[in-house]
Amino acid sequence: MTPARRTAGLSRRHFALALPSALLASGCAAPHQGIGRPGDPIVLTLLSHYASGELKEALQGPVNEWNATHDLVKVRTKAVEFTDLLTTLMVRQAAGQGADIVHPYCLWNGQLVRAGVLRPAPPEHAEEITRGYGKAAVGSASVGGKVYGYPTEVQTYALYYNKRLLREAGVDGPPRTWRELEETAYRTTRRDQYGNTLVQGFGLSTYDDSTTVGQTLALLNAAGGTFVSTDGRTTAIDSPAGRAVFDLEHHLVAKGASAPGVNVYQAFPSGQVAMVVSAGWWTTSLKTLMGKAYRDVGVAPVPVPEAHGKRATLSTGFMLGVNAACRHPREAWEFLRWLNTDRVGVKGATATRMSALQVSVGSLTGRADDMRTLLGRGGDPNLRPFLDALAYAVPEPNVPGAQQAKSLLRKNIEALWTGQQSVDEALRTTRRQVDQEVSHSW
Amino acid sequence: MVNATLAPETTERAAHDDPAVGIRGRDRHRRRQVAVAYLFLAPTLLFFAVFLVLPLGFALLLSMSRWSGFALGDIDPVGLDNFTGLFADGSTFLAPILTNTLLFALGTVALALAGSVLVATCIDKLRFQGLWRTLYFLPIVTTVVAVGNVWKYMYEPGGLVNGVLNALGLGSVAFLADPDTALPSVVVVQAWASVGSAILVLTAGLKSVPESYYEAAALDGAGPVTVFFRITLPLLRPSLLFVCVTQFLTGLQSFALISVMTKGGPGDATNVAALEMYRQAFSYGDWGTASAAAFVLFMVVLVVTLAQLWFFRRKGEDA
Repeated sequence: MTPARRTAGLSRRHFALALPSALLASGCAAPHQGIGRPGDPIVLTLLSHYASGELKEALQGPVNEWNATHDLVKVRTKAVEFTDLLTTLMVRQAAGQGADIVHPYCLWNGQLVRAGVLRPAPPEHAEEITRGYGKAAVGSASVGGKVYGYPTEVQTYALYYNKRLLREAGVDGPPRTWRELEETAYRTTRRDQYGNTLVQGFGLSTYDDSTTVGQTLALLNAAGGTFVSTDGRTTAIDSPAGRAVFDLEHHLVAKGASAPGVNVYQAFPSGQVAMVVSAGWWTTSLKTLMGKAYRDVGVAPVPVPEAHGKRATLSTGFMLGVNAACRHPREAWEFLRWLNTDRVGVKGATATRMSALQVSVGSLTGRADDMRTLLGRGGDPNLRPFLDALAYAVPEPNVPGAQQAKSLLRKNIEALWTGQQSVDEALRTTRRQVDQEVSHSW
Repeated sequence: MVNATLAPETTERAAHDDPAVGIRGRDRHRRRQVAVAYLFLAPTLLFFAVFLVLPLGFALLLSMSRWSGFALGDIDPVGLDNFTGLFADGSTFLAPILTNTLLFALGTVALALAGSVLVATCIDKLRFQGLWRTLYFLPIVTTVVAVGNVWKYMYEPGGLVNGVLNALGLGSVAFLADPDTALPSVVVVQAWASVGSAILVLTAGLKSVPESYYEAAALDGAGPVTVFFRITLPLLRPSLLFVCVTQFLTGLQSFALISVMTKGGPGDATNVAALEMYRQAFSYGDWGTASAAAFVLFMVVLVVTLAQLWFFRRKGEDA
């Protein structure tokens, strides 16, 4: 064997030993593992759906501020589109790569708690959340009475209306009761000779689960009903309130005031829908899409069945919680407290960093005091009804199986709208299917 | 210094002297060859093990378990409960979901096959055949999302299709919003999108039909219809079998187009097995039901494919 060959052999052996060592070392230093070498800062990962544009920048601002002012704990954000959020959460968790801090849609909270993904908030944080946020926001972030995170954006539902279309139909203002809603819808509806809808009086849309179900649940809550029972184990939609909502929607579709096949998110900005129930996030999009025509847009509380009826509507939301598999929960909760509770100066007033973040992107948090402070200073008046609704909104049910229950409700609403089912059949089928699936999830 | 190329000769000479040594040597040589063959096959076998056998085994395990998809330690065996649940009273899996799946696949195959035979026969008689084939193949290279969205706009009440109907004095049709027309409307799009690949296969099949058959038919005075049904179609059978089987498989498993165009609605009017499986697993966290549905769909695909092969073999076509 020549010396040269011996050198080559040694080199290969060294390489063979060095490669696994290097891989092992780099694996140990991976961000999700937290501390690498002694003295290194803890690195917490945060998975959210703030994946692009102003949302991404809005979250990155406070995270950069934290990283610049905290030497021992750093936060690294990871973002995916909302449509991929649950899948990403699931896959990463199963692979043992779950993020330390997660930002789920509250609808999934029951499913995540049941799967052991979410860690309950420590008592001092739970107390802070219960004290600082509105009832609907706390309800969204809780499962079985236990708080699991800091509510972030909260969406309440209200009635968007086109002032110009109402004016042209001789209607003075937005409807306050369901009777007024129907009358306004019929008066504003216009069709051409071929049956094409030129103007929908009241927009009901099969666009997606959230649109279809959100509209219906907002009306259901306004009628004093709820989708699931108090204990979360059965559906409560087969009730007088549920029947009233299904009847109302059935009438509107049957009489041509609603055309569910039309994409309401395109039709309303184009002036082809007079009224529609939707969430507060839409105002920002409408401003961008409609330009000067946005001045025709008004927002009012969701009409109630009878005059002087108690107001109610639907609220949905997201929250920031800590993964049960997080190795540094204390640090993670501390970061969340700093982000969601500490007050900073914003435009001459004080508010939490999260409140400032959400308002900067045209959204709301469940902190009504912050919202009043921030929106009271030259904000869009159309956001006010959504802010007022924080006081009386009903949180979207988030029991285990809530996502499936929502999909089943959508299917049955669509079957009602398209005449596949009568009101009775739709109520009965929804109750049977949802009860079966929700009980399966428990 | 020993020349390595002489080594086998030495072995052969020794084997010539002693038959037992020769047999042992040949065995050793064969074993070495087998080992080398497996060594070369190892990457492929490993690939199949990791990406086929392992997921298949895992899916089989999940089909008989309850699992939310978050922690591997939470897999809870439930026997055949997931399968019985799929066919239980009130379940929507058999009807309308599985029925829709079969209708979707059947409709797609029928339309795509008829369309592609017609177009391929026409193209075969035209100049610039490459250009025509490319034009018809374009939908294949376009993303499903783009195709689905464009057709969705065309089907809308103020869209192109209704515009044409209105121009003809007919009323508008809510193609995707009406449960009676939603599935056929999506079938048309799927058939349109898949006709290109079928045309490619069929034009290649048409090229392989000997010209002498057509000349003989012309001498006998056969008309174009007789030539098509007595010569072209029977000799296209191998290509038709291929198109039929592959299109049916694609149709039974596809869900992307439906997801883009209708999301399975209105109600369950266009819901198909693959879309339901995706929802059960990734949206509802019910991996057991999703995996059980996957195995049921697998059985359906197997039965349909075997039936097609049997049918064509009965007609004398070798699969």
